[in-house]
Amino acid sequence: MPMKRRIDWAIYAAFVVLVMFLPLVMDAFWLNRVAKYLVFGMLGTAVALSWGYAGILNLGQGLFFGAGAYMLAMSLKLASTTSLQQGSDKPVPDFMLWNAEPGAPTELCCINKASFLWLPFQSQWFGVAMGLILPVVLATILGTIVFRKRISGVFVSIITLALVLLVRLVVIDSQPVTNGFNGLTDLGWFNIAGLEFDPYIVPTYYLVAVSLSLVLVGARLLIDTRAGLILQAVRDDQNRARYLGFDVPAYQTFFFAVSAAIAGFAGMLYVIVSEFASPTFMDLTFSITMVVWAAVGGRSSILGACIGAILINTISATVSETEGFAEAWKAIIGLIFVLVVLYLPRGLAGLAHDFIDRLLARKPAASPQPLRVSDASSQLAE
Amino acid sequence: MLEVLFIGLSLGSILLLVALGLAITYGAMGVINMAHGEMVMVGAYVTVLSGIWLGTNIFVAIPLAFIVTALLGLLIERVVVRRLYGRLLDTLLATWGIAILIQQAVRLEFGLTFLGIHIQGLGPGLQNVAVPPFLQGTFSILGADINRYRTFIILVTAFLALMTWFIIYRTAIGTQVRAIIRNPKMAAACGIDVTRVNALTFAFGSGLAGVAGVMMSGFKTVFPDMGTSMVVDGFLVVVMGGVGSLLGSVLSAGILGEINGLVAAATNDILARAVVFGVVIAIIVLKPKGLFALKGR
Amino acid sequence: MAIDRRRFLRNGLLATGTVITSPWVFQTGARAAGEVKVGVLFSLTGGLSIIEKSLHDATLMAISEINAAGGVKGMKITAIAEDGASDPKTYNEKASKLVIQDKVPTVFGSYTSASRKAVLPVFEKRNNLYFYPTYYEGFECSKNVVYTGAVPNQQLSNFIPWIIKTLGKKKFFIVGSNYIYPREMAKVSKILIEKNGGEWIADEYLELGHSEWGSMVNKIKSSGCDVVLSNVVGDSVVAFYREYKNQGLTHDKLPICATVTSEIEIAAMGAEYAVGSYTSFPYFQAIDTDRNKAFVERYRAFVKDPKAVTHHALESSYFQVFLWKQAAEKAAEITPVGIREAVKGQEFDAPNGHVKIDPDNLHTYLTPRIAQWLPDGQGKIIDAYKEPVVPLPYVAYGETPTNLFCTGKGLETAKLKT
Repeated sequence: MPMKRRIDWAIYAAFVVLVMFLPLVMDAFWLNRVAKYLVFGMLGTAVALSWGYAGILNLGQGLFFGAGAYMLAMSLKLASTTSLQQGSDKPVPDFMLWNAEPGAPTELCCINKASFLWLPFQSQWFGVAMGLILPVVLATILGTIVFRKRISGVFVSIITLALVLLVRLVVIDSQPVTNGFNGLTDLGWFNIAGLEFDPYIVPTYYLVAVSLSLVLVGARLLIDTRAGLILQAVRDDQNRARYLGFDVPAYQTFFFAVSAAIAGFAGMLYVIVSEFASPTFMDLTFSITMVVWAAVGGRSSILGACIGAILINTISATVSETEGFAEAWKAIIGLIFVLVVLYLPRGLAGLAHDFIDRLLARKPAASPQPLRVSDASSQLAE
Repeated sequence: MLEVLFIGLSLGSILLLVALGLAITYGAMGVINMAHGEMVMVGAYVTVLSGIWLGTNIFVAIPLAFIVTALLGLLIERVVVRRLYGRLLDTLLATWGIAILIQQAVRLEFGLTFLGIHIQGLGPGLQNVAVPPFLQGTFSILGADINRYRTFIILVTAFLALMTWFIIYRTAIGTQVRAIIRNPKMAAACGIDVTRVNALTFAFGSGLAGVAGVMMSGFKTVFPDMGTSMVVDGFLVVVMGGVGSLLGSVLSAGILGEINGLVAAATNDILARAVVFGVVIAIIVLKPKGLFALKGR
Repeated sequence: MAIDRRRFLRNGLLATGTVITSPWVFQTGARAAGEVKVGVLFSLTGGLSIIEKSLHDATLMAISEINAAGGVKGMKITAIAEDGASDPKTYNEKASKLVIQDKVPTVFGSYTSASRKAVLPVFEKRNNLYFYPTYYEGFECSKNVVYTGAVPNQQLSNFIPWIIKTLGKKKFFIVGSNYIYPREMAKVSKILIEKNGGEWIADEYLELGHSEWGSMVNKIKSSGCDVVLSNVVGDSVVAFYREYKNQGLTHDKLPICATVTSEIEIAAMGAEYAVGSYTSFPYFQAIDTDRNKAFVERYRAFVKDPKAVTHHALESSYFQVFLWKQAAEKAAEITPVGIREAVKGQEFDAPNGHVKIDPDNLHTYLTPRIAQWLPDGQGKIIDAYKEPVVPLPYVAYGETPTNLFCTGKGLETAKLKT
């Protein structure tokens, strides 16, 4: 097994090195595009962590992604010179002015009933902090309720799904504070010590690439800890783990919160590379798409899910930009989903593991990763 | 007030119309069929096309749509779903892929657009279905104006629900289906042909979606993406009602419909929708197995 | 279907093969000899493709007509069409592909404000040019966008006074989809309603794309209003008009006066549901000129559908390409800035009549018209301005033709104070 683990880490290293060297061969557009896909890869990792390890299929991961994105976007909106000068030299976002009641004071504190919430976001670092804190707090509350009540399987999925749709509805309806359906646009650039992260420059790419590498390594280390092992035991047989005396809900909530933090982090990075935040981040379709990325890459593999996301997005982009496929590309993606679920139930990572196993000529049983994960939900069918 | 209650009832019946098929495929077979909404869409397109090609009205379309979507369901079960029994979340992912495929098939007119052929009634545009005049407008009961088409939907939904109940609880095959819900392996051991019964159940559930599509086509617009939002509402109803419980689905559809209608009348439609989501979350948290859980093992 | 799938598979494999190589194969520059590339960015998949596909087709039709007539400065226009997939994320990504990789000097695209807002940073920060064909809510003063659809003053400033004075209706029920366009239309409407001596009873919204109208129509029925002002968007429109009739409301007693309901929605709902209701747009398919009739025929031939309808955003998608062509010919060089400077004040005889780009705010002079819907699904134009009206994107703040807020120098923010 040490051999296998060494290979595992070697693959991680190879991925990180590859990601780091990409800027040498790419122009500004592909740099930005790949940065976006790396962000999606991070989302895939977040899904794998909660699905493959905490045993919860979160159909509302978009909630955490959206929360992270909006928190940073609020700060960057207040940092944007072009969107603040609309009728006022004070830091009041343009859309608040359009949505203001006639005669309302043009001050951020009180232009409408909820605008004071924006006040602390004048500091960019407050936005960054909130982009992590909000998803973690939401996930902890949700996780505590769900896991303490031992709600499982598809019921958790339905709760997360209803929750993300509820939040999306509220965000769209609160137009004076959130700019509703159009989302937050016309943002300033993220800024660290005077360095402005224009989405099309190399430092921005590295900001994303280094973040992803750290998240990958961190997540990989996390699942090797005692907590990670216990979680895998929980996933494989929740009752047995409980009878052994582990505080199962605490571990599950912890991993759920970590997954939420990663998704929130990805949301912030996405705002930096694409310069807007939109309630469509909380669309059901997007949340399900993330799950599919993870399934294609390998739902119980941190790196596999990440690569799955990058791969699917690259294929979508390339096919949809191929002459004559602009209208048909979605059908091809749909077909890929079906084929992967039918013939590669463990995704690309499963394929890779089998290959490594064969290479090492060992029995698959020696694999540290349990092969099936769908059991977590099969209790439902009973 | 009567009108408000009627609208609530009507909203409930529409929810149930979509949820009924899901209650069958999901409750009985443990398949999360994300393509269910697309079955509704196919049913709606059957109505459009039968109107254009055969010149027939919505009543003829009901059996036609049932047959077409049931056959499509049979095909999907044979090719994909059959290999995924017991892998609940995998069925979700695979049928999501199928949903995309069906949508694109309709949008691209089964690929004929690439050959420059256009079939009237298909394609990315909006389609419409003519409704017979006697189903338009209102009639009055106790001084309240009652919408004819919505009454028609309520009647059809009630008929379908009763028929489903009859098949599941009063026929031989229904007994087999219920046996499979409780314990597929034991059912198989008792000599039930689980594969065949599952295939038929899936086809029946899909057929119900097709009929739902016919009803939807009469008052909503018909387009390739119309099913996606319906399937979500359908799942909320089924899960809240309790998996495998037909009565649960009926009641939860009624409750959600009335809540939606009453809150919308008192405040506004957006708040009503938010409250519906909130109620679903609260009920699953309070009763994690749904309102009417089967007392299984 | 079997053949089709095989075809998909084969082509899919080919396409997947190119995935591996394409990022490293770069196209350098967009202008090969004898052609000029432009971007066309509408949703060809997803919910919005219903309408955006027709805008896409109209754009390509204009390009092919220009090419057939000799192109621009003797060069052929090549359209690079991308799919926005009804998703702002995809819109943003494809816009940066067109602007940064393909280096096109102009992109034609977008139907919703949300998608325009998502691509805007790409155009503003790279100083490129976007032609936006849809009517929208105003409040934008970008030097990188040319707006060829109507703004609120071109849809409402004729409509509301006409409803009050000619139709004699005074109590408005305002209803819309829940996002910025309907809300801003409601805001402008309220100002106009009060100015003209009417009153508004309610201002209600339904989730965008939601189509359950039972409760809302019941509310309208019991509200005591005598006219409904609808800013409902998309496929919701169809369900709305159907429910309206099914609850026993009729347009002769309680007419719906709409700002978004166009030929495409009427065709989708079945004309009998809209007979007698009104819409305000600068363009209707029924405009009785030879130029428009020929346009409709050409469009139907182009999309190979003898029953295809034309509508306002579609017509704008078509004529804006001609405005672009004139600007490209006038400009010394076909660059975004060159075209922008040259498009100012550009005039064209479009199917709806004479149009002109305002040199200050880059919006378009259009002729407001009001039509009543007939049983054949066409509008009967019952009121029209004699000449095009100046576009005022900030009309809700008191912008007037003699006091523009958005000028060549940008937005004069001092005037905006409420």
